[in-house]
Amino acid sequence: MPDPVNAKAKAWLARIHALPFKGRVRVMNVCGGHERTISMSGLRSALPEAVELIAGPGCPVCICPEEDVHAAIGLSLREGVTLVAFGDMLRVPANVPKREPRSLEAARAAGGDVRPIAGPREAAAIARENPSREVVFFAAGFETTTAPIAAMIAEGVPKNLSILLSARRTWPAVAMLLGAFSGKVETGFPSENATKQKPSEEAGFDALIAPGHVSAIMGPEEWRFVPEEHNIPSAVAGFEVDSLVMGFHSVLRQHLEGRAFLDNCYANVAKPGGNPTAQRLIAECFDVVDANWRGIGIIPQSGFALKPELERLDAVRRFGLDNEAARKRAGEMPPGCDCARVVLGKIRPNECVLYGKACTPRNPVGPCMVSDEGACRIWWASGLRHGAEA
Amino acid sequence: MRVMERDGFVARCEAMGIERSVSLFLLQHESVEPGDHVMVHVGYAIQKMSEAEAKSIWDTFDEMFDAEEKARNA
Ligand code: SF4
Repeated sequence: MPDPVNAKAKAWLARIHALPFKGRVRVMNVCGGHERTISMSGLRSALPEAVELIAGPGCPVCICPEEDVHAAIGLSLREGVTLVAFGDMLRVPANVPKREPRSLEAARAAGGDVRPIAGPREAAAIARENPSREVVFFAAGFETTTAPIAAMIAEGVPKNLSILLSARRTWPAVAMLLGAFSGKVETGFPSENATKQKPSEEAGFDALIAPGHVSAIMGPEEWRFVPEEHNIPSAVAGFEVDSLVMGFHSVLRQHLEGRAFLDNCYANVAKPGGNPTAQRLIAECFDVVDANWRGIGIIPQSGFALKPELERLDAVRRFGLDNEAARKRAGEMPPGCDCARVVLGKIRPNECVLYGKACTPRNPVGPCMVSDEGACRIWWASGLRHGAEA
Repeated sequence: MRVMERDGFVARCEAMGIERSVSLFLLQHESVEPGDHVMVHVGYAIQKMSEAEAKSIWDTFDEMFDAEEKARNA
C-alpha cells in the first residue's frame, strides 16, 4: 500500500514541524473533501500537537433544512411523481411521527418512486425518458453543485422536471462564525457592510483553509474578507494531501509571523476570478437569498433561489407546498443529535454522546453520519473512535 | 479526467481506467481539446487543469481508496 502522505507532503510536514509554535493554533476547513483527506490520511496525528484541525461547515447534505427533506419525502409519495436526488440525500433522516417514512429511502420502501442520481444531467434524462411522470430533482449542494444545476437549466429542462432547491453558499457560513452579520445586513460581501467582528477566540478558529473547488467556480477572491476584515490567516487548498499540507504550512506560518493574507495553494484549479461561465449561469438562474441551515438557522445571503422568471421550475410552487409552515413546524435535528455544533466546528464528532453508540453509518441518527461529506461519517470511516485518537 | 473526444458540449473522459460522459457546458470560455485534463464534479467539467495537477489528484484518490479499504477491513 502506498503511504497516504507522499514525499512532497512529507517535506511540507517537516517544515511545519520546524515552525516555532508557542501555543495552540486551530485551523478550520469548510469542505467535506478536505476533511476526508485529513481523516483518511491521518494528517491530524502527523501534525505538531499545537495544531488542532477543525471540521467546519463543509457538508451541504448535513445542513439541508429538515423542511426540505420533509417536502421531498412527501413529494416522493405522491401519485405520478418520481423524486431524484444525489445518493447521499436518500438516507438523511427527518423528524416525523413514528409510522411515517423518516427518509427518502424509507419512502421508497413505502412505495415512493425515489431514484439516486450522480448529476443534474441524469435528472433531465430521467424526465425525458418518463414524459408521463412529474420528475422532481431534490438538489442540495454548495456553489460547486449549483453551477452544474444552472448549466442544466440553461441547456433546457424538460417540461415535466422541477427542482426542489436547497443550494447554499459557503462563505456566508464562515462570515457568520466570524460575527460579520451581527449588524445590519445588505447585499454583497461582508467586507462592504460588516460591523465589528468577533475575535477568533469566539469564532472558534485561528486560521482557515478555504475550499478549492468552490474557489474554482467563484474565484479565490471570495475569501479575502477573512484575512482582510478579520485578520485570520487563510489559504485556498485542493483536496490532495500536498495541497492541503502546503495550505497548513502557509496559514501556520502566517499565524506565527502575525500576518494574515489569502494564499492560494491550488492555483492551477482555483484560478483568479474563478469560472466565468459558471458565475454567469448562476447569476442568470438564481437570486441570492437569506437561507435556513439545518440546526443553525437563517444565515444572511447564504442561499440560492430560482429567479422569478424560472418559477415554473420551482417544485415548491408547482406542487403548492407550504414550506414556510413546514419550517415553523420543523423539529430541526433528531433528538440527541449534535450535528449543528459539529457542522460549525464547535465540537468534534466524537464528542456527541450518540457517536458510535446509537449513531453509526449503518444506523445514522443525524445527517452528519449519513453524508460522505459529513464529519461524523468521515471520522467513523477513518477509524476514529475516542477523543484520545483525534 | 483526461478528455478523449468531444462532440459539442459533451466529452468522453477517462481517469484511472474509468470512462465517463462529461458536460463541457461550464467551460464555454475555454478551448477544451482531446488530451486536456479537466476537474469534474457531478458530471460537469468545472475547470481545466494541468496534467501534473490531475496526476497528483489521482495519486491522492488511489491512496485514499487504499486507506479506506484498510479501514473497512480492519
Ligand atoms: S454522531 Fe450522529 S447523532 Fe451525533 S452529531 Fe453526529 S450524526 Fe448527529
